[in-house]
Amino acid sequence: MNLQESGCFDPQYSMTHWHALMVMGGLPSPDGTTTQTHDILEDNLNLSSYNHHQLEEEDASTAVQMEIQQHHLLDTTTTNSHFIPPELSYEQSNWDAADHQSFNMLLSSSSPEAAYPPTPDLLNLFHLPPNCSFLPNSSISFESASASSVVCDPLFHLNLTPQPPVFRELLQYLPHGYTLPADEKELYHDGDNGILEFTRDISMAAHAKGRDKAGKTTKHFATERERRVHLNDKFQALRKMVPSPTKNDRASIVGDAIDYIKELLRTVRELKLVVEKKRCGQDRSKRLKTEETASAADAGDGGCKLLGLGDPDQCYNTCLRSSWLQRKSKNSEVDVRLIDDEVTIKLVQRKNINCLLFVSRLLDELQLDLHHVAGGNIGDYYSFLFNTKIYEGSSVYASAIAHKLINVVDKQDAAAAPPTSSTCL
Amino acid sequence: MGRRKLEDDDDDNNNNKEFKSKNLQAERRRRQKLSDRLLTLRSLMNKATIIDDAITYIQELQKTSQVLSEQLLEMEGSSEESVMPMKLEIDVAQHDMKKCGIKEEVKVSNIDGNKFLIKIIVEKKRGCFTQLIEAMNYLGFELSETNVTTFSGAMLFSSCVH
Repeated sequence: MNLQESGCFDPQYSMTHWHALMVMGGLPSPDGTTTQTHDILEDNLNLSSYNHHQLEEEDASTAVQMEIQQHHLLDTTTTNSHFIPPELSYEQSNWDAADHQSFNMLLSSSSPEAAYPPTPDLLNLFHLPPNCSFLPNSSISFESASASSVVCDPLFHLNLTPQPPVFRELLQYLPHGYTLPADEKELYHDGDNGILEFTRDISMAAHAKGRDKAGKTTKHFATERERRVHLNDKFQALRKMVPSPTKNDRASIVGDAIDYIKELLRTVRELKLVVEKKRCGQDRSKRLKTEETASAADAGDGGCKLLGLGDPDQCYNTCLRSSWLQRKSKNSEVDVRLIDDEVTIKLVQRKNINCLLFVSRLLDELQLDLHHVAGGNIGDYYSFLFNTKIYEGSSVYASAIAHKLINVVDKQDAAAAPPTSSTCL
Repeated sequence: MGRRKLEDDDDDNNNNKEFKSKNLQAERRRRQKLSDRLLTLRSLMNKATIIDDAITYIQELQKTSQVLSEQLLEMEGSSEESVMPMKLEIDVAQHDMKKCGIKEEVKVSNIDGNKFLIKIIVEKKRGCFTQLIEAMNYLGFELSETNVTTFSGAMLFSSCVH
């Protein structure tokens, strides 16, 4: 993809932008905090992530992960030294929720071009917000207005359509009721700025939660909070769908969801192959009964792919079935890998649950022929590796194996927990 | 599409190539346009929409996999021919073992006080590992290091127990 190649994802890209930003002196020094820079950078990443949203979810997670990385990076750097002497002091609290209300409006009203400006313009976009931001503080000296207008100039090349009504509403939310000079207003008429505002707001809300000032207009507090809660609920809903969620933060939730979706795709693909193979097998046996001729290519156990050419009833074993998944539970972890008809199962237990008996019973039940077992004990962990082969004709599939295995192990775990664990032999 | 033009059986190769490359370019441009538009669409989505989409997609995939597995179960119930090949397999195994001259044996050696090393070679059957473990259980052995390999129809079981 072109945008991908342009390197918007590259953390170095963001960092260079950030440095460029500081050099240009676009950032007023915040009141002893660096959250603003966090958010600028986060904006960049958010924006890039919006730009680079391909159809796979992994980009979202990468963006989010990069976001987190950048936060870590920024945490360790103090940026005050790079800022221009504070002519503009910058209250961040007003961002906290003020603009959330109009976030949807912003997004919907911004023009399509604004949503994904070409790469080089992102640099310019950064310059825009800090300087023509809503500065509620009375100590604003608008001497910088000229500087800001100079900086904002590059943006006008973007041909962005002005969005007057939205921004007027935004201006309403300024807590201290400050009014801004008319000439500044036109600088706000920028759909793109709106998006930046939105992303910054979300991030600021996340960062500056503890800094709610009394100035926030209370009637909008409820809707904004409700929106945030709504979004958090969605994250929690996503988390619930995943089989083994790890941490409870947004990045992990998204990452787990990504892994789960990939796993589901693998499972679905495998199931389709198995069903197809079974159907082929049944068709073949029917034909054997009627015609007493062997059909072609039934040597292996691979999946069947119906070819449109030639005889449509013949199955050709052209695909290898492969799949893997992992299931974790409190004390154990199961990893099942399946290629064609070989299944490799790895089982790690944290306690000495000693479920070898139950596992081998389950393997018999699943029609898996044990070829090799390696079991060992490292410190506190007991690990087993089973190399098995699926018996001919059985149509067991990877996720079933994993589910049953983890259930058996957990059951054993629960049974063994109350009495002493070791001598339950 | 462009294929129609390719079927032209003229000797004029250049002509064909021209058509092909023009169409290739057109095709490429069209595809590029589509992917750019899809990117735009993606970039327009906000966080909430993305999450919602993910939830919907996961639900859809879960439903699909459930449907497929039910279908599989259904098919499982109706086919009965699979039993025969397994018996054949086992007979082959026995045969192999005798051919290679592997003898069944059980060997126990004491390592250290409470610890024993047990080595068992047995003809491989379908549930023999389970039976072996059951026996170990019954005898009160705790298996700390276990290894099983199979070859030529025989199964070698070695384990450190105490």
